Amino acid sequence: MRILVVEDEPTLARQLADGLVAAGYAVDLADNGIDAHFMGDTEPVDAAILDLGLPGMDGITVLKKWRAAGRAMPVLILTARDTWHEKVAGIDAGADDYLAKPFHMEELLARLRALIRRAGGHASAELSCGPLKLDTRASRATVDGQALTLTSHEYRVLAYLMHHHDEVVSRTDLVEHIYAQDFDRDSNTVEVFIARLRKKLPPGMIETVRGLGYRLASPQ
Amino acid sequence: MNLASLRGSLRFRLLLTTLVWIAASIVVAGWGLGSLFRSHVEAQFNADLGVHLDQLTAHLVLDGQGRPTLSVPLSDPRFNRPFGGLYWQIDRLAGPAMPAIGGALRSRSLWDQVLAVPADAPLDGELHRHRIGGPQGIVLGAIERSVRIDEVSLRLIAAADERLMIEPVARFNGVLWLALGVLGLGLAFAAWLQVVVGLAPLRQLRRALGRVRNGDARQLEGSFPTELQPLADEFNSVLTQNAEVVERARTHAGNLAHALKTPLSVLVNAARGREDELARLVAGQVETAQKQVDYHLVRAQAAAAVRMPGVRTAVGPALEGLVHAMERIYAGRNLQLAIQSTPNDLAFRGEEQDLQEMVGNLLENACKWAATRVEISAAIDGDRLDIRIADDGPGIAAEQREAVIRRGARADERVPGTGLGLAIVDDLARLYGGRLTLAASSLGGLVARLNLPAAT
Repeated sequence: MRILVVEDEPTLARQLADGLVAAGYAVDLADNGIDAHFMGDTEPVDAAILDLGLPGMDGITVLKKWRAAGRAMPVLILTARDTWHEKVAGIDAGADDYLAKPFHMEELLARLRALIRRAGGHASAELSCGPLKLDTRASRATVDGQALTLTSHEYRVLAYLMHHHDEVVSRTDLVEHIYAQDFDRDSNTVEVFIARLRKKLPPGMIETVRGLGYRLASPQ
Repeated sequence: MNLASLRGSLRFRLLLTTLVWIAASIVVAGWGLGSLFRSHVEAQFNADLGVHLDQLTAHLVLDGQGRPTLSVPLSDPRFNRPFGGLYWQIDRLAGPAMPAIGGALRSRSLWDQVLAVPADAPLDGELHRHRIGGPQGIVLGAIERSVRIDEVSLRLIAAADERLMIEPVARFNGVLWLALGVLGLGLAFAAWLQVVVGLAPLRQLRRALGRVRNGDARQLEGSFPTELQPLADEFNSVLTQNAEVVERARTHAGNLAHALKTPLSVLVNAARGREDELARLVAGQVETAQKQVDYHLVRAQAAAAVRMPGVRTAVGPALEGLVHAMERIYAGRNLQLAIQSTPNDLAFRGEEQDLQEMVGNLLENACKWAATRVEISAAIDGDRLDIRIADDGPGIAAEQREAVIRRGARADERVPGTGLGLAIVDDLARLYGGRLTLAASSLGGLVARLNLPAAT
């Protein structure tokens, strides 16, 4: 899952990025409205955390432009401007949730999980596919109750496949959603992660759909 | 209207001064015209008597015994009608070897009466005027002269009833005062009309101000006469400036809060995941600072706006906007948020931001606690709004309700929130002269009732 964080205060941006990476997300950072709009418009991010008071272009305008261009990823507004007047304006501009500063990282993560889950049509914080279960709150996967030991990249690949289980996910999709923009991408590494995951999962759960990508499905 | 307020009335002052002028002018004009006419009639009366006396003198001859007699009778027929109003008389004055005879020759109109004229013996050619008693007790104006013919001294008198002079004057005065009275009434009506028409823009100004005060208008609307337009323009610019000052205050307060909260966020996150004394201190102090910032921000923004005239907010759209936001924010909870039919013209006498802040906090509470349903209703009761937000959650025990409204208290620490929400709502409501009350809802949970001033 790839998250766009738009925050112009560098220390807070770094803290947000650290917290999100620790929770298993890939993070793109933007510190002004122009970059934020461009990245949200062109990169396949799964969610955005958006400050409102930004240099270049204010957050509400950025959000309206995304929505006008048909970008539908969940957006959480994270701002000190938290009067209801501003919240209503933010929601009207197309935001999905609103969190006021100062905030607790745990609450931010919980809200973000809920947004991504809702966007994928999942009702519970725990995703399951046959014997495989993914607890998005604890960033933990289990098979028949047995915890899997996963590296952070393996977790990202598995989490993305779980959010889109029974769908074909292309290799490019996977690369774009597990790495941040400034990361040195190599689609071959995806094959490495898939191979390692296959060893840890019950056989046959990750199918290769020739020429299209991968599909996670419960074993027959 | 008592005397003091009459004195303070512009209309009364204008009307009073005009009426005093009109009355004074009419009295002076009436008196002046009356005396002019009177002196004219008097002069005419005396001139007529003079003519009669001259005729009498011209026709006077003495007969053989030295008795006066007239060669031709005087022309005016009233001399021949008994008590006809015009009289003449010739007295013979005492001379050498001749006794005086009063009324030696008299007009027929005197009948058997003799005019008694003061014996002042005018010199030859001199005219004397007298007011004397005449026949039947009437007063006569008389004129006399002395004539000497052939050593005989005679006194010639012409007299006329004074009523011949008084009656035309009285008739003239009657007509004159009637005409002046009608003129005065006309002028008074015109003055009243002028005051009413002239001061009508002031009433218009007052109505426009009333609309501003009621919140129906933000500016004085309409065009006023040249004398009032500058006043209205100045007033409008004061209103505009006031609104700008309030807007600036809001913006500054918002900027200050924004500037403070980002560093607070950095502090919270820096202390996160550490269990030492410093981390706990930072977390505690940041929470206190945040509460203070929130509390004073809302208060500062509202206090600036509460005394602004001409501010009104339609309730319906504000509620719909908030409900839409709640549905989005609490999309995961599958809540039913229902606005009961709200009259279209319902309006709050205050800033939109403040109404949103109050209702938003209450709605957020309701959404946090509700099991399935939140109901919002708004009604008007006289000049008060009654906004109710009810949920079907666990509610709050009656004895705890006052405490949770008090600043900072929270009934249950497990549900996230600053715990200041209800206190801020109550504070805002009180700034607007209203209040927040909590009660048991018919849905099973809590109902929060906001009593606020309505805009007409």
